[in-house]
Amino acid sequence: MEIGRGKYRLDGRNLNFDVVDALDFNGSGSCFYFRGDNGYGKTSFLEKIVIPAFEANGLPYLYIGQDIRTQLYTLRALLSVQGFKVSGTDELELLRLWIDQNQSAGVLMLDEFDKYFPDYGFIFEWSPALIRTYIIVTHQGHQSTSIAAENRRIYNVKFELLDIEGRFKNVRVRHE
Amino acid sequence: MNNLVILKLAIIFIIIISFFWLFVFGPFYNHLAVQLVVLVVVLVWNALRFSFKETISLLKFCLPFVSSLFIFGLVFQLMRLFGRTDWLQDSLIKCLVFPSSLIFLKILLAGITYLDILNLPISMKKRIGLITMKSAFQKGEKILGRFSWYLNTYSSLHGEGRIKSTLKKYACLIIALYLYLYEEIENSNRLLKNRYQHLYEVNE
Repeated sequence: MEIGRGKYRLDGRNLNFDVVDALDFNGSGSCFYFRGDNGYGKTSFLEKIVIPAFEANGLPYLYIGQDIRTQLYTLRALLSVQGFKVSGTDELELLRLWIDQNQSAGVLMLDEFDKYFPDYGFIFEWSPALIRTYIIVTHQGHQSTSIAAENRRIYNVKFELLDIEGRFKNVRVRHE
Repeated sequence: MNNLVILKLAIIFIIIISFFWLFVFGPFYNHLAVQLVVLVVVLVWNALRFSFKETISLLKFCLPFVSSLFIFGLVFQLMRLFGRTDWLQDSLIKCLVFPSSLIFLKILLAGITYLDILNLPISMKKRIGLITMKSAFQKGEKILGRFSWYLNTYSSLHGEGRIKSTLKKYACLIIALYLYLYEEIENSNRLLKNRYQHLYEVNE
């Protein structure tokens, strides 16, 4: 699956993206780091452009959102509906159980996961063997994040504010 | 100030009781056309009071309950259960009454502000309880859309048939909301009690 070069407009979020370099998520063993200042649309890009593209292509993925505490309520509910005993499990056990149950997913997306778990290398060990691609939104420096994803091809994707046109932010998305 | 608040709350509760007396348990319950008009009016009112998007999400929330009511009504009608032939009409009425009464209640209760609760001539403990409930339900309403969004991203919910997936999704939505409200009520209550106790001690 690829997000091609071109312009992407998100009216609801007042964002215009200019994707300068195509983002090819097909490659096996790759790790994409989405970087850029707050408000440049990294999460919106992921939730409104990347995730719908995966869905349109019928590709199973796992997404851990920035508001992980909110998501955990849905994970607790999902796993209990699926028959798992989740009472008394902590956040990490819950996430692990969920990831273990989704062996078909080929992509794992983490949005500012490092905000809650600064040393999140464990997620690479947990992830099913089938995970080909990681997409990680982060504010951490290049060095610290690369350590967590060692043995993978790293792609740093930079979100840069070009200008503001009325309500809209024009953001350039390019490989670093 | 206290009297005004009591009057306001009394009016709100009288309107709610009148609505339920007229359209849910009373003379207009069996009138399909009236119920349809009531639902449209309530939806328009909600869209004007809050937003169109919020109204749509409320309708989406009601959809599984309404559709299951309709399906059961249809099946019972076809089976002519207990010899009755009015199952479908009865379910159609319930399909209209359920969302309209829920939304009506929500609009009216939203009219009660935190300031109103604070001005009520009741003990602080009861005020804290009411404030906690109001705050938790307001948050719960806002978070519903996000819960739904997350659930849509879980591929394990889409593997089965469409109806089964939808029912499972709504079961998850209700459980998630319950867990959230339970925790939120507990946390807010603890926070409010703590702040009140601190202020009380400072003033003493």
